[in-house]
Amino acid sequence: MEDSLGGASLPSGPDGKKRRVSYFYEPTIGDYYYGQSHPMKPHRIRMAHNLIVHYALHRRMEINRPHPAGPADIRRFHTDEYVQFLNSVSPESISDPAFSRNLKRFNVGEDCPVFDGLFGFCQASAGGSMGAAVKLNRGDADIAINWAGGLHHAKKSEASGFCYVNDIVLGILELLKVHRRVLYVDIDVHHGDGVEEAFYTTDRVMTVSFHKFGDFFPGTGHIRDVGVANGKYYALNVPLNDGMDDSSFRSLFRPIIQKVMEVYQPDAVVLQCGADSLSGDRLGCFNLSVKGHADCLRFLRSFNVPLMVLGGGGYTIRNVARCWCYETAVAVGVEPDNNLPYNEYYEYFGPDYTLHVEPSNMENLNTPRDMEKIRNTLLEQLSKLTHAPSAPFQTTPCTIKLPDEVEEDMDDRPKPRIWHGEADAYESDPDDDVKPSHRFSNSAEQPTYDTEMSDATDLKEVKSEPPS
Amino acid sequence: MAGWSIMTNGSALDCVGTVNNCQTNGCHLDDDPVSEDSVEEQSGVHKDRLRCLFDLILSGYLKEVASKGFVRPLPALLGKDGQSPDLLKLFLVVNELGGHEFVSGRGLWGFVVKELGLDLEVSAPVKLIYSKYLKELEKWLFNNLEDRNEQSASGGKFGFLSLEQEKEFRGLFKNGVEVVINKLALVEYMKNNNSIGKDNKKNGLKVSDANLSCSLHNGVEKIICDNDKNSCRNDLVVLDPTVSRKDFCTRKRKRESLAGMLNWVTQVAKCPKDPSFGAILEPSKWKDYGGDEFWIQAIRAREALRKKRDDHSLDEQSFLQNNQKMHPSMYEDDSLSHHFTERLRCSERLPTSKSCSLSCCDSGSASQNNLTCLHKTQSECAPKEQSLATSKSSDMIAELYGDDSFRRQVFVGPLFQAEVPEWTGFISDTDSKWLGTQEWPLNGQEHDSLAVVDQIGRGRPDSCGCQIPGSVECIRLHIAEKRMKLKLELGSLFYRWRFNVMGEEVSLRWTAEEENRFKYMVQLEPPSLNSFWPDAFKFFPRKTRQDLVSYYFNVFLIRRRSYQNRVTPKSIDSDDDESEFGCISDSFGSDALKVPGSSMLICSQNNQCIDVE
Repeated sequence: MEDSLGGASLPSGPDGKKRRVSYFYEPTIGDYYYGQSHPMKPHRIRMAHNLIVHYALHRRMEINRPHPAGPADIRRFHTDEYVQFLNSVSPESISDPAFSRNLKRFNVGEDCPVFDGLFGFCQASAGGSMGAAVKLNRGDADIAINWAGGLHHAKKSEASGFCYVNDIVLGILELLKVHRRVLYVDIDVHHGDGVEEAFYTTDRVMTVSFHKFGDFFPGTGHIRDVGVANGKYYALNVPLNDGMDDSSFRSLFRPIIQKVMEVYQPDAVVLQCGADSLSGDRLGCFNLSVKGHADCLRFLRSFNVPLMVLGGGGYTIRNVARCWCYETAVAVGVEPDNNLPYNEYYEYFGPDYTLHVEPSNMENLNTPRDMEKIRNTLLEQLSKLTHAPSAPFQTTPCTIKLPDEVEEDMDDRPKPRIWHGEADAYESDPDDDVKPSHRFSNSAEQPTYDTEMSDATDLKEVKSEPPS
Repeated sequence: MAGWSIMTNGSALDCVGTVNNCQTNGCHLDDDPVSEDSVEEQSGVHKDRLRCLFDLILSGYLKEVASKGFVRPLPALLGKDGQSPDLLKLFLVVNELGGHEFVSGRGLWGFVVKELGLDLEVSAPVKLIYSKYLKELEKWLFNNLEDRNEQSASGGKFGFLSLEQEKEFRGLFKNGVEVVINKLALVEYMKNNNSIGKDNKKNGLKVSDANLSCSLHNGVEKIICDNDKNSCRNDLVVLDPTVSRKDFCTRKRKRESLAGMLNWVTQVAKCPKDPSFGAILEPSKWKDYGGDEFWIQAIRAREALRKKRDDHSLDEQSFLQNNQKMHPSMYEDDSLSHHFTERLRCSERLPTSKSCSLSCCDSGSASQNNLTCLHKTQSECAPKEQSLATSKSSDMIAELYGDDSFRRQVFVGPLFQAEVPEWTGFISDTDSKWLGTQEWPLNGQEHDSLAVVDQIGRGRPDSCGCQIPGSVECIRLHIAEKRMKLKLELGSLFYRWRFNVMGEEVSLRWTAEEENRFKYMVQLEPPSLNSFWPDAFKFFPRKTRQDLVSYYFNVFLIRRRSYQNRVTPKSIDSDDDESEFGCISDSFGSDALKVPGSSMLICSQNNQCIDVE
């Protein structure tokens, strides 16, 4: 048992602060354009990156430009014909009768239009998530971020909901090479149907999705959909209603995820941070603040398990940039000023020009009674996992990177060798932590959150023992 | 009534999306138990087509009106309980009686209301709704019917309608209008000036034709017979078969029981915790339950409505499967109001028919078959072993999510799941190509040690020395300063990350004339579906797609937002591509704002910061 717990701890220690963060960014991502009046705008990723750099958060990370995923890589999940189609279709060729049949077959056309550079966009998105997975596999990073990823609706041979290639499935498949069990958590307002479906029959991946349910895209994600065959009880769905606010969300997310971490003991976690669950989203209907949204990342980060952080939905682009910038800050352990630094996209954030925006006063249709029922139902479902015989919990063997140091005490471990440049700048240094909370001039009334994981770090269940 | 109005909406949607389907496939749309009492069976198809066209026309008309500032939302709600009358039926009834003026003159609104199955007390609101929503339509229809040549068919407020549609509608209307009301009841009503047909039984028939000059060409007797054979089949599903057969002749009672059930649904919806509603059994027991309480009626009614919807949509299954929309309002027919169609789209998206046909039986089946099909699906979805733990918790879930109508199944099979290898403990190699190119931290020699860097996480200073803090000039200055700093820190990475083509700097590569042309183009182009600005290359033969997109996000939107932030700070929107371009009329109202053009920026004191690549 000790061993299995040890498998979940990280080389960089349990103090809840220092994390080696790797971040993937494709500089041309913002130039992809789904088309006029299409709500999906890759430009938001560029805006987020811009904010991140102007907050100087890059100095706490390693930043890589992803290697574009090739057709063969994408075929690890998707079918040959579908990949072939994506690779060859173009706005000019869609009128070709040879393509028009396939457009329908692969559900490409309306929600998922054929735009210029479509395949390049998919390659960049998938390449980033693959890179993030390899970073974690090699033990090079504790947290790996790809905001261009998280396209959770794409199916094995079908596009869906603005998603063509499921970078998450590809990333998880890569993680499974090294990690025995992977937990997938999805806080997009839409159900993470593509990922759930891909891993619906396996116990090596557990999927947990929090989403609006009921007359809402994509229609899956019923609380009773729990997986089948070996995957039974390894899919968890948290169906929610309009107006979900920070405290309600937290009251579900924390206990459920804590229980999942206890009973499933994943070796790696993938968090899809779809920002359409934020208040004021163009397509979403929740009422989360950026802090409430980022609380999910904060909580998962505290478990000291290798963590992949991906983007996803998000259609009010100024808030998407805010959210992903703040979550990057949470990942590297910085609490940024509320007043935004001057940046090229400054005017997008007016009239307040602040990082955080107040949620709206919309009604929360999730009653405490509903919340309690959902929580109890799911916790009960989770309790069946403890005795799940089909999933013997065994230790993840050590990766190639750290064979000699496993016996060492955590605190004495030398710094990882991969950082050639500014290893000292890259790791979190407590003195360097800027927490200018007094600067929250516009948010005096905002609920205060623990800036560090006070309630999470003392979890008895998550011991930090070296892997063996 | 709730189900009723939803169905109406649904039909309108289908009408928009797939007019053809309406023609062939609409026979099950009319779920109104009241109208089935008096409408001939064989006119059903016509009537559904009529309903489609009617919805199209009405929504188009309302949009026309809305554009003039008179917003009339759909569905039209009657004040008190939020009931929503069937507008088509209202229209037909009133017109058969002789039109708005006639009905008002004779004080027949009470009869109209009864005929619609509503409470007498809402007759005033119904009259209001008629005059707001339908009077214009009536006028148009009759003017043109009388004098088709004189008035252009495509003129006026109904100009959005194609000639064919209009002709068809007129034809159907002529047909449908004569069979809609219960003449008998009208006689009764006029006699008593009281509530409709208290004793509308067989004996009442004999009084019928005497007093009414209207042509009762179909004969009430025949209508009832038809109902017996055909239309009532549908009702049998809703109610317990034995009960409804027994009570068939006394239609009123049937209506009463339905009304009771609907009231019950309303009450439960209002206060679900009230213990007086009694216990509801768990779904597995519904099928065999013999009782006739309101709750089981409601469940049967729901099943029946769903069955019909499924019947209706069977032919459209592939359409349904492939056309679930993540962003429903994006693809709407222009002639429909936004609000209206969004609702409709929702009903189309309902996934039941899919899971139903997948999990069982041949889909083109008769109604009975479909009914079992639904039950089967339900029990398959929640097998006993899967139902969670104790019966208590499954009750809870049933209470919370008892309505599975939104549920869509997860597909299982090699076509859907990823191939996940068994865990062997053997770690296969990972390809280091995936690490990509490391961009940061920079290599030692590239790093400019002199660069003054901001603290991590630091925001903008609280104040600045500008003459007008917060003005466009002030902010441009500070952005330029910040860029300069960043450029020093990043060196060539500044370019690799393409900071040089972020923000308003992009406009430096555009001439003022080109910028104006772009603004003109964006205003000119109607929002087209998912396409690039169709005429972009006519406007800008030498600019690439990427240039245009870059200008749009980096300059155009920033300027628009800049205007919104200062002029309409309560209404900002960075994401609406298609409308509300009011602000862009004259360089975003720059005169009002004293926004300098990019040339003025160059004149300002910090021109060393301007980054011209």
